[in-house]
Amino acid sequence: MIEALSTGAADVLLVLGVGVMTIGVYGLLRMPDVYTQMHASSKTVVFGVVAILVAGMIVSDARESAYRAVLIIAFLLLTTPVAAHSVARAAHMRNEAGSGPPAIDEGTEPSP
Amino acid sequence: MHTLLVYTAITWMCFLLVVGVIAVIRTPSTASRIVALDMLVLIVVALLALFSSYQRVSYYLDAALLLALLSFVATLAASRYHGEGRLFS
Repeated sequence: MIEALSTGAADVLLVLGVGVMTIGVYGLLRMPDVYTQMHASSKTVVFGVVAILVAGMIVSDARESAYRAVLIIAFLLLTTPVAAHSVARAAHMRNEAGSGPPAIDEGTEPSP
Repeated sequence: MHTLLVYTAITWMCFLLVVGVIAVIRTPSTASRIVALDMLVLIVVALLALFSSYQRVSYYLDAALLLALLSFVATLAASRYHGEGRLFS
């Protein structure tokens, strides 16, 4: 019973992860500028890779495999926002234009 | 996990890898190229995780962890160099 339930949960998580990664790659191709592309890529990490890793963690019996999966998940969740922020900052410093209407630019206002 | 499902997932992730390479080549600006390369490494990490759970070998996850670490440092260095013109300020 538990065996069948965990196998089914792993299947669902695997399909979910692969689907989310597909949507992320499609968003990377579809979105017009770098600021919107980062929406696609950053969210893909959290839901795609983590879902696939959790699916592998449920299936595997070995304990060291689960430890490593937890380590990878924690590392990815910590570093992805930092990397995305750094890329957005670089694009803003190079005056890369977004494709939508201009937003309020908080980055160039003089600090009080 | 069913074997057929894992096979299908690995094949589909390889297809996504090819599409990601095409996205890296075709994209117009450097910043979105950095984003696409970051995405490409994450696809490889997911592929390694799939392969690890398929073969029931945990050593592939070491490679995945190392790849995620290297990808973070590389993205940070590339974006800093792109934005400020030098790595350390």
